[in-house]
Amino acid sequence: MEILSMVLRNLLARPVRSLLTLLGVLIATTSMVLFLSFGEGLRRSLAQELTRVGPAIQLVPEGMEGLGFSGYPEITPEEYRRAVAAGKELGVRSIIPTLFLVRGGFDPQTSFFFQGLPQGVAPDLLYPGVKVREGRLLPSAKGAIVGAKVAKRSQLSLGSPLRLSPRVELWVEGILEESGGLADNLIFVPLKPLQEVLGTQNYTALLVALNPGQKAEEVARALEASLPGLKAQTTGDVMRFAERALRISDLVRFGISLVALIVGGLLVANTVMMSVYERTREFGVMRALGAKRGFIFRLVVLEALLLSSLGGLLGLLLGSAVSQAINLYTLEQVGLALSAVTFRLSLFALLVALGLGLSAGILPAYHASRIPVVEALGRV
Amino acid sequence: MTSVLRAENLGKRYRQGEKEVVALEGFTFAFPQGSTAVVGPSGSGKTTLLNLLAGFDLPTEGGVYLGELALNRLSEDQRAEVRLKHMGFVFQQWNLIPTLTAWENVAFPLLLAGLPPKARKERALELLERVGLLERAHHLPSRLSGGEQQRVALARALALDPPILFADEPTGNLDATSREQVASLLFEAGEKRTLILVTHDLELASQADRILHLKGGRLVRVATPAPG
Repeated sequence: MEILSMVLRNLLARPVRSLLTLLGVLIATTSMVLFLSFGEGLRRSLAQELTRVGPAIQLVPEGMEGLGFSGYPEITPEEYRRAVAAGKELGVRSIIPTLFLVRGGFDPQTSFFFQGLPQGVAPDLLYPGVKVREGRLLPSAKGAIVGAKVAKRSQLSLGSPLRLSPRVELWVEGILEESGGLADNLIFVPLKPLQEVLGTQNYTALLVALNPGQKAEEVARALEASLPGLKAQTTGDVMRFAERALRISDLVRFGISLVALIVGGLLVANTVMMSVYERTREFGVMRALGAKRGFIFRLVVLEALLLSSLGGLLGLLLGSAVSQAINLYTLEQVGLALSAVTFRLSLFALLVALGLGLSAGILPAYHASRIPVVEALGRV
Repeated sequence: MTSVLRAENLGKRYRQGEKEVVALEGFTFAFPQGSTAVVGPSGSGKTTLLNLLAGFDLPTEGGVYLGELALNRLSEDQRAEVRLKHMGFVFQQWNLIPTLTAWENVAFPLLLAGLPPKARKERALELLERVGLLERAHHLPSRLSGGEQQRVALARALALDPPILFADEPTGNLDATSREQVASLLFEAGEKRTLILVTHDLELASQADRILHLKGGRLVRVATPAPG
């Protein structure tokens, strides 16, 4: 019969009330874990994608930083030539122009993402680690290398035609192995047909590959200085930009989940307060027998902490399970795991649940420990 | 610290609206070893006296002393510690903790005193055996009769072997058989202690070594019952 066992038995003595309170905390924690898991998932996916991108620096038009490759191609051939010249002076390994084209609307299930590469550049230069499953890795002038998920979704096989416009048609020459990254959802084609479809000679971005020993930040700043109108982004810049955006979105999502947390906290406080009122005489007996105020205080706070930590733990487990289910869906739909219940999120959720219990338990505990013995025993 | 409990000019007044109520006035008595019954009609100040002697409440006049220690100069927690170490209590309504079994209720003061779990259980079972309830040790209070609950409460009061034992109407809610059992155990426990028994029951009081008669908040008579 230790104090924890006394607390547990008291909760079990009122099973329905304790269960309902537990459910309240569980739902509050689950919703918080899920809300915040999206931020963690995006962080993790972004970090994974960036480590898979070969070139350490991306040159994009000013104002397009952080937008990835979604913008309209604005880098002119002249700017590309100047970038190549600047790159040579700085001793970079290569500068690869690239172009993006989306066909088929906004639904990731029905749209096609084309990435144009210069003749002679294979996808593995941009996405190290990608391997070909069928056919070849380096496309010919009229060829396309298809990511594993696009091939499966659209039932593409070697020799399948890809019509980019009424006048531009390419053929599947290679299908990649599934890598779990962005490349699974891309179709790699030569630059020329994409430029023909878009009616431009421009590029979306220039990818700068460095030689061993070169520092990405230093080279990026030097390139920016010699190329007005272009911004050099390192993977670190992208991460920092994304981190800022994710932090803001984390705060917004935490704010929303705070409503559920406050409701959960009030439930715990209500349950513990009711328990205190019902057990006033019991506390009086304990005090009469020699229990100090701190003992009663601990007993009540522990009750709130036990409810909230158990609810928090179960909420974390449920949140993790739902997060896994969401990931199964988003992996199927867009090839990315959008939700992640990381160690720091788990720790945060448990600490929030404990904090909730502590703040919900302090007032009833203070009240319980201060009731005069004669009043508590009904001996006035 | 000697364990003689004494009250000096003890008084308790409180306000009830405009009116001042004198619950106890000028009570002076040193409780010797053995049993002392406190009797008197309702409103005579018996409960107030017990509240003050046990340190549940503070007097408005005079003081309660345990040896040289003035109880009314101690903090709430210090008085709780004095109760734990020096006093045991048996209440009219038993007041067992409903979520604890019989032996755990008996062991509760031992938990407060910081005894290790094994020693607590051994001592609790020993006391339950003494009050004839060993076979009911693992029952919750709700499964015990009134008499059994009162015997558990008595075992709990004796857990730390306190020199002073308070009993407030200990047989008030019991049937005749249980009343006999509890009274016998109580006076047996009170032989080597200071037993302060507050009761309406004059027959029970007559078994005590001395009887204090209270009336209107004052001690009006100290009597020694005739032996036999």
